[in-house]
Amino acid sequence: MKKSLKNYTLSYITIIILIVIAVWATLFYAYITEEVYDNVDDGLKNQKIEIIRAAYQDESILKTDTFGINQFKITKSNVKIKHIEKSTFRNELIYMPYDEDMEPYRILTTYFYGKDKQMYRLEIRTSTVEEDELKYDLATALIILYFLIIISIFLLNTWVFYRAFKPFYQILNKLEQYQFGKIRESEPIKSNVREFTQLDTEIDKMLDRNEKIFKQQKLFIENASHELQTPLAISTNKLELLLEDEELAEHHLITISETKESLERMIKLNKALLMLSRIENNQFEAIEKINFNSLIFEVCEEFADLIDFKGIKIKINEHGTFTIDFNVDLAKILLSNLLRNAINYNKSLDGLIEIKIDQHHFTIANTGKGRGLSADHIFDRFHKETSAVNSNGLGLSIVKTIIETNKNLKINYSYSDSFHIFKIQKL
Amino acid sequence: MKILLIEDEAALSQVIMQSLLVERYLVEQAFDYPGALEKISIYTYDCILLDIMLPGGSGLQLLEKIKELGKDESVIILSAKDSVDDKVRGLELGADDYLAKPFHLAELHARIKSIIRRKNQNGDDVIVYKNVAVNTTDRSIQVNCKPVNLNRKEFDLLYYFIIRPTKLIQKNSLAESIWGDHIDQADSLDFIYSQIKNLRKKLKDNHADMDIQAVYGIGYKLI
Repeated sequence: MKKSLKNYTLSYITIIILIVIAVWATLFYAYITEEVYDNVDDGLKNQKIEIIRAAYQDESILKTDTFGINQFKITKSNVKIKHIEKSTFRNELIYMPYDEDMEPYRILTTYFYGKDKQMYRLEIRTSTVEEDELKYDLATALIILYFLIIISIFLLNTWVFYRAFKPFYQILNKLEQYQFGKIRESEPIKSNVREFTQLDTEIDKMLDRNEKIFKQQKLFIENASHELQTPLAISTNKLELLLEDEELAEHHLITISETKESLERMIKLNKALLMLSRIENNQFEAIEKINFNSLIFEVCEEFADLIDFKGIKIKINEHGTFTIDFNVDLAKILLSNLLRNAINYNKSLDGLIEIKIDQHHFTIANTGKGRGLSADHIFDRFHKETSAVNSNGLGLSIVKTIIETNKNLKINYSYSDSFHIFKIQKL
Repeated sequence: MKILLIEDEAALSQVIMQSLLVERYLVEQAFDYPGALEKISIYTYDCILLDIMLPGGSGLQLLEKIKELGKDESVIILSAKDSVDDKVRGLELGADDYLAKPFHLAELHARIKSIIRRKNQNGDDVIVYKNVAVNTTDRSIQVNCKPVNLNRKEFDLLYYFIIRPTKLIQKNSLAESIWGDHIDQADSLDFIYSQIKNLRKKLKDNHADMDIQAVYGIGYKLI
């Protein structure tokens, strides 16, 4: 799944901060415990000196042989120890009535000679830090810290992002809204970040360049088709005159007629190309409310002879009235192209055309030869599924171009139950 | 019948003129705006064929001039632009018909004939050929003074033939004129054949002295 730029950085930050905090926590824990023990041990050593000193002055202290309120005990010892000054430390769990639990104690053990030359063993204890609890508290604090950091980074990030990246999103939005060939309200993006203004102007330049090339190409096709009209008219009309010449033999006439037919195909192709550029140039401006139901009947009526001749059955089911604001000429061209398509590519026997009209969409479905067609390419210019002689490969691309003149309309092609279905729906 | 042909493309003008001459019209040519304006101001014509894009001015301006001069010539616009706007504007300015280039000459003749007939109309307009009379006003026909029922397309077919009897009419121009652009070429031969077969049968059943003859691979003619 794709993340947004903001979350992308955030996801890395969360992981990195987690690692940093974990490493830091272990180090911190090690230092803290060391420091705590150091402190406690120093205190114990100090006490040791004071106790031994006091024991010299007051021998009754030597009789303290249990941990009482003094937190030390002195017992006689017979152990021979080389380094008498050496103190040893150990941790021990001792029951503490206050907590009603075993609590960790730090215990210093040392040996000394009393005034009576007797060797004594001195143990001093003091309550020390609970390592478990320390760990637990530290972890809790760090987890809270971790989340606070993440949340503040997230908030900061969001805030900085929306401030710093606002122009970026504006540019993105602009590109999203952009439709080829449509006039842009190109207000330059205001930003203090040089890269963004640069990006914006470069994108604008690029779009302008593309549109210019596109327009030139369109104009070229338009002019070429336009310029072809006159020579085509002259040649077909000359051939037509020749066909009326009674001195010519029939085989001559047939050749002339065939030549003329080829030229007429070219004329039709040329007309289709001109039609495409006229639609794209928005030359069909007049928009009115069009009732497609009656228009469909009208167009079917125009094709009635041909449908009849081809032995095709046509069924029209009206479940609602499909009305939309549209140009009436374009609507007619749209429907006749679709219907012509449904007739031409129908089966040669028992062909069927089904038209269903609803309030929100209508479908024109026809039985046909072969399989379903490629929905991706069927509307492409000069795309031919079969080498049909009577197709110039522009009929459906005209349909598509007409549909595109109205933003609220959509067409798609599908194939099911051996029907080729063209569905036009309101968005 | 006098026709003024205003068309800047010399070769096209020439071929149209030739075809009109075959039909025994008197034809004058103009190739640009001033030339056309001069001819229109001085002479009177039955029909003017008018190209829209002319050197020195637009055909639509000429159309306005014709109306200003109070002339009642019928005008057929011949335009290479085939734009809806031009068509609407031309017809608003008083043109009688509009033909987009490239067109079939047969179609041009059909349009000229019906316009001239409409103009010279006194009472019902009836074309008679042999023992068949075609009434273009109420779209009825009579064979031997007996009415014969034709459907709309059959009438259109017969009309297309009878305005130019004995002339070879190509199947494509027939198809385009009567069924519009809807008939594709690959179909036209069989389709037109089946339509004409019905018409021939009706003519024959009613003992018309005429027949529609097929010219193989090209078209038909009324004899």
